[in-house]
Amino acid sequence: MMEKSELTLNQKIEKLDEKVEWFYSDSFKLDEATNKYKEAIGLAKEIEKDLNSLKNEIEVLTEDFSK
Amino acid sequence: MNNFTPTEFIAVVNQTLEYAYPSALITGEVASFKINQGKWVFFDIKDETSSISCFMSVWNLRIPIEDGMKVTVSGVPKITKWGKFSFTVENIKPVGEGSIKKAYELLKKKLTAEGLFAMERKREIPTDLVRLGIISSTDAAGYSDFIKIINARWGGIKVTVAHTQVQGMDAPDQMIRALKYFNEKSDVQMIAILRGGGSADDLSCFNDEQLVREIAASKIPVITGIGHERDESLADLAADVRASTPSNAAEMLTRDRNEEKAKLARTMNRTYQVLMQTIERVQDNNNRSVKRIFDAINTKYIEPMLVANNDKMKNCLKIIQDAFSNVQNILVQKIKVLDALNPERVLSQGYAILSGKISPGEDIDIMTARQEIKATIKDIKERK
Repeated sequence: MMEKSELTLNQKIEKLDEKVEWFYSDSFKLDEATNKYKEAIGLAKEIEKDLNSLKNEIEVLTEDFSK
Repeated sequence: MNNFTPTEFIAVVNQTLEYAYPSALITGEVASFKINQGKWVFFDIKDETSSISCFMSVWNLRIPIEDGMKVTVSGVPKITKWGKFSFTVENIKPVGEGSIKKAYELLKKKLTAEGLFAMERKREIPTDLVRLGIISSTDAAGYSDFIKIINARWGGIKVTVAHTQVQGMDAPDQMIRALKYFNEKSDVQMIAILRGGGSADDLSCFNDEQLVREIAASKIPVITGIGHERDESLADLAADVRASTPSNAAEMLTRDRNEEKAKLARTMNRTYQVLMQTIERVQDNNNRSVKRIFDAINTKYIEPMLVANNDKMKNCLKIIQDAFSNVQNILVQKIKVLDALNPERVLSQGYAILSGKISPGEDIDIMTARQEIKATIKDIKERK
């Protein structure tokens, strides 16, 4: 099962790129492929959820820059 | 009637002037401009009929000034101890297109020679931007445009906003303080200086020498989104990245979440295809290999024994056939599992994938086998 990570959205996308890269690499092994694919699908779903729901946090400083 | 000494009278007049004009603005043409001992600046400001002597420190001279330039000065009137009238200037800025352009060119030449705008000084936008500082007026349209666009495009960024003036004589100092704040007291990865369009006079604060130097000296990379495409300020030249407008800055700093979603679907579909093709290839190889072995055994040992009607060998043949069938079944099952995971297969059967918040009034995305649809939810009812 995929661990719920504290990675940022960009980091998750990078991680997915690495997972997908494995399928095109010399490290590819058929008996590992199903699990790797399930992991990639899980991460892709997490990324899609983040893309739909993540909001920016906006804070206006209370400092007075006129002084 | 009062009887004063000269010192007393000058003090009283200065008190009266200070009370009447705690700060005054004068606009006129510069004449007899000179700097003494690298510290003190003297010039006259005049119109067709009158002239006023002005004095200021070099520290307050934020932009190059020459005779003939039209300027606005702010400061206080004063009588010197020699009884001469003088205007102590706190701030000076060129006004009118010709003077603004002249001052801009002079300062650009000076700072270019110092290497402040050199390309090798430029740093890139961080690839994983999650902490952003903004210097802008929160009342400005340019700021609102920026926030609207980054919210639509991307999420997960902590945006810290320093509200400052972005126009007028006080604006450069306020922006300098905000730059110092971010550099000394924050962990932002990038600073965006934003201001929408305006006249050359409105944008002239971005040509302030100290502000430009502060931008160039910033430890944190700076992006500017000031004015329109055609406007180029010295702040733009000193920044690491120049965006043509605040909206353009938002686009340069963030990726588009809709493009990323489409890319994600394409990547996973392509990966699935690679996996399927590999499994099919391996299955074909396995089938051929097993068949070759089976044929060899059959030809060399089994057929002769069958001819001899040997029951033991008949059993052997059945075991081998069953084993071969099992290998085939395992591969078929694996392919079925993978096939069931493919979203394209589900879509091809007439289903659709919905994404977004399921709530009345919310916009959602609908993906079918052939179309990507945007829709708004009107009503939701629980199924009975």
